[in-house]
Amino acid sequence: METNILYTHKDLVEKSKSGDRNSQYRLYELYVDAMYNVSMRMLSIKEDAEDVVQDSFVEAFKNLKSFRYESTFGSWLKRIVINKSLNHLKLKKIPVTPLDQHEYHISEEIIDPVKPKDINKIKKGIKILPDGYRQILSLYLIEGYDHIEIAEILGITISTSKSQYHRAKKKLIEIVNTL
Amino acid sequence: MDDFEKYITENKHLFDEHKADRSKIWNEIESNLDTSKTIRLWRSPLIKIAASILILIGAFSMVNLVTSGFNNNTQNNIVHQELRDIDTYYKDLVSFQVQLVKNNSKLQPEDKKKFLSFMDELDEEYNALKTEMAKNLNNEYILEAIVNNYKKRIELIENLLKQINDSKKSNENEGYIL
Repeated sequence: METNILYTHKDLVEKSKSGDRNSQYRLYELYVDAMYNVSMRMLSIKEDAEDVVQDSFVEAFKNLKSFRYESTFGSWLKRIVINKSLNHLKLKKIPVTPLDQHEYHISEEIIDPVKPKDINKIKKGIKILPDGYRQILSLYLIEGYDHIEIAEILGITISTSKSQYHRAKKKLIEIVNTL
Repeated sequence: MDDFEKYITENKHLFDEHKADRSKIWNEIESNLDTSKTIRLWRSPLIKIAASILILIGAFSMVNLVTSGFNNNTQNNIVHQELRDIDTYYKDLVSFQVQLVKNNSKLQPEDKKKFLSFMDELDEEYNALKTEMAKNLNNEYILEAIVNNYKKRIELIENLLKQINDSKKSNENEGYIL
C-alpha cells in the first residue's frame, strides 16, 4: 500500500522525465493549486507566491531525473516550494525563524481552555500571525511536517521548533478569541 | 495533539483557498523550460572554451580582413598613382614625338599618313586596354600590354625619325659625292 502511494502518477512522472510537455502540464495541473496555497501561506503576497511556484515547477521538471520515488511526487514538489519560499523570504530580508524575544511576555501557564472551533476565524487568525509564527504553524498543522522535518527545513533545532510552535499556537488562540 | 490542533488538521483542505493563475504561471514555466536547454549548453565548460576560441578566431580574422582590406586599398592607390604617372609620362613623350613628325617638313605626306594611321591603331588598342583595366585594375597582363602599347609607339616614332635622319645623311652624302 505504502509503495502504491509513493508511485502516484508514476506514468506522468516518467513521461515528464523524458521531457514530454503534455505530461508535464498534466502534473502541473494536478499540483499547481496546492503548491500555490503552500507558497501563499509562507509569503502572503500573490506575486511572490506565483514567482516561487513557477520557479519550483521549472526546477522540478529540470531535476526530475533525481526524483526516485523516495517520497510522493507531491511531497517532493512541496519541499521544493517551501525551500524556494524560504529563500525568497531570506532574499527579502524577512526573518525566517521566529524571534524568541518576540513573545517573552506570554505566560507559560495553561491558556484559556476555550478552544475556538470556527475555521473562518482560525484562517483569519493565522493570516494576522507574525510571519515566523505563521510559517511554523502552517508547516506543522497544515503542511503536516513533524518537528524533526521542520527543524531541518528551517535550520533550527528540534526543541526550538517545538517551543516556537507552542508559542505560535498560543498566539493564534489569543488572536482567534478576540475575533 | 489537542482538539484545537485536530480541528485544524482535519480541516486543512479548507486552507487551500487560493486559486492559482494557471495559464499565466504555465506560460512562464514553459518559456523557462524552452530556454533551459540552451542555457545548459552554455554552462558546459567545454562549450564555453570552444565558443571563446571561435570568438577569438572570428575577431582575429575580422581584424585581419579589415587591415588587409585597408592595405589593399592603400596598395591599390599606390598602383593607381604609379600607373597614372607612367601613363602621363608616355603620353607626353608620344605626343611630343608625334608633333615632331607632323612638323617635319622633310617627310613625305604618304609616310606621314601611314605613320599616323599606325598611331591611330595603337590609340584604339590603348583605349580598349584602358576600359579593360577599369574593370580589373590588378591584372598584370593588361598593365604590361599598356606599357607595351606605349613602347611600340615610341619605337615606331624612333624608327621613323631614324629613317628621316638616314635619308638626310644619304642625301647629304650623295650631295657630298656629287
